[in-house]
Amino acid sequence: MRAVGRWLGERWITIGSPLTVLVLWEWASATGLLRAVFFPRPSTIAGHLRDLAMDGTLWGHVATTLVRIGWSFSLAAILGVAIGLAMGLWRRLREGLDPVFAVIYPIPSVLFLPLVSFLVPPGEIALVVTTAVTSFFLIAFTTTHGVRQIDRLVVEAARHYGARGWRLFAAVLLPGALPFIFTGLRLGLGFALIVVVAVEIVSASRGLGALLWLSWQVLKVEDMYATFFVIALLGALLSYGLAALRARLLPWVPDAGDR
Amino acid sequence: MGVAVPTAVLVLWEIFSRLGIVSPRYFPAPTTVAWTLADRLVAGDLAGDLLVTLTRLALAFALAALPAVPLGLLMGIARPVRDLVEPYLAFVFPVPKITLLPFLLIILGVGEPAFVLTGASSAFFQIVISTLAGVQTMDPRLVEVGRNYGAHGPRLFWKVILPAALPAIFTGLRLGLGLSLVTLVAVEFVAAKSGLGHLVYRHWQMLSTPEMYAAFALVGALGLVLTRGLRALQARVLTWQEDIGV
Repeated sequence: MRAVGRWLGERWITIGSPLTVLVLWEWASATGLLRAVFFPRPSTIAGHLRDLAMDGTLWGHVATTLVRIGWSFSLAAILGVAIGLAMGLWRRLREGLDPVFAVIYPIPSVLFLPLVSFLVPPGEIALVVTTAVTSFFLIAFTTTHGVRQIDRLVVEAARHYGARGWRLFAAVLLPGALPFIFTGLRLGLGFALIVVVAVEIVSASRGLGALLWLSWQVLKVEDMYATFFVIALLGALLSYGLAALRARLLPWVPDAGDR
Repeated sequence: MGVAVPTAVLVLWEIFSRLGIVSPRYFPAPTTVAWTLADRLVAGDLAGDLLVTLTRLALAFALAALPAVPLGLLMGIARPVRDLVEPYLAFVFPVPKITLLPFLLIILGVGEPAFVLTGASSAFFQIVISTLAGVQTMDPRLVEVGRNYGAHGPRLFWKVILPAALPAIFTGLRLGLGLSLVTLVAVEFVAAKSGLGHLVYRHWQMLSTPEMYAAFALVGALGLVLTRGLRALQARVLTWQEDIGV
């Protein structure tokens, strides 16, 4: 009980402020101080969220988005880590690919949709590949950096004790780069969510981004808020869940991407 | 070595497209694209749309940075402010900011304010978080030394805390500008009727691919100039800082 009391004493502002805002919002919207057309009451939004969840619409869209994120992220992670490791190990490859990456990386990923839809069958596959682009670059970048920042002395010492080839890679280079790879994966997963929602807004008829955009087009404002809430929840789950996972798995290293 | 791979890719693309190994309808030769780019920049709509995107970007960035840096600093110094703002930050930060667009569209109507504010929002959260991190991760010994030498209140802030947080603030501004561009172009792609993002969309729909690739290349060049330029500036201005940000 005491611990709970102390915890509340420290956090009362953090917990109280959103609650106060919600209550004020409810009241202002109910009395007409806020235009309920634009800012429907939180209780009404919650009701719509429940309805969307009950009739299954929501779960269909959530599942679609999650499956897309899953495919995109797997694609980006496998290619990104592989190419990132290769670029970290071989200087020539790194110098060759660096300028290509530098040009492509800052391009907003949604713009790749037209290009990708020329390359692969449009529809689901184009959507997944487009979503993977940004995550791939992030993961490749951080992995390369992870290999490069390993202390030369450690590598020299390992070589000296006879570690070569696969052994050197598996026992020294990979563990040394792992914290950075994990940071890359975490950022990549976060970006997969961001991009998939953007791409769904642009081109899909299913998925959370599409649900949000279609709700806007028919002016179902309550459904917009409900969808936004679900997207935010998903974002929080992905980014904070993964950060917690890292803290458990790799507690000895600070997160390289926290700045 | 640095330009070998990109050059090789472009040359191969040129040959494949000219020989019809890849469909020139979908993958026009780079020289065709370059010609279109030059032609449209001088005579056509490309320069105008570039200007539109740049104006939106400048407005969005200013709207984000001006409140974000002071807020981040204030959160770093005053615990109650941090407690007050943090829940909203934590809720909205991981959300793709383009989802704010439909809300701004219904509240402000379809038009520039909604587009620019959506672009600003993505920079705003990044800058607040980087600035806050800059204050929070500074060496506490710096503050103690400052205090021991008699620096308090505003003096401590201007002479110790702000300089220590400056590298992180700069990183936040740099990342924020990049995010702003990404979000703005996406907004233009879906909702606006002008700007480089809209050009890519329109020429995609009309399948006028040389124009599409030209606009695409221009966005890439813009992103490259902004990220590289700011990074060089950061290295020049803040020479003592090692940057690992991606």
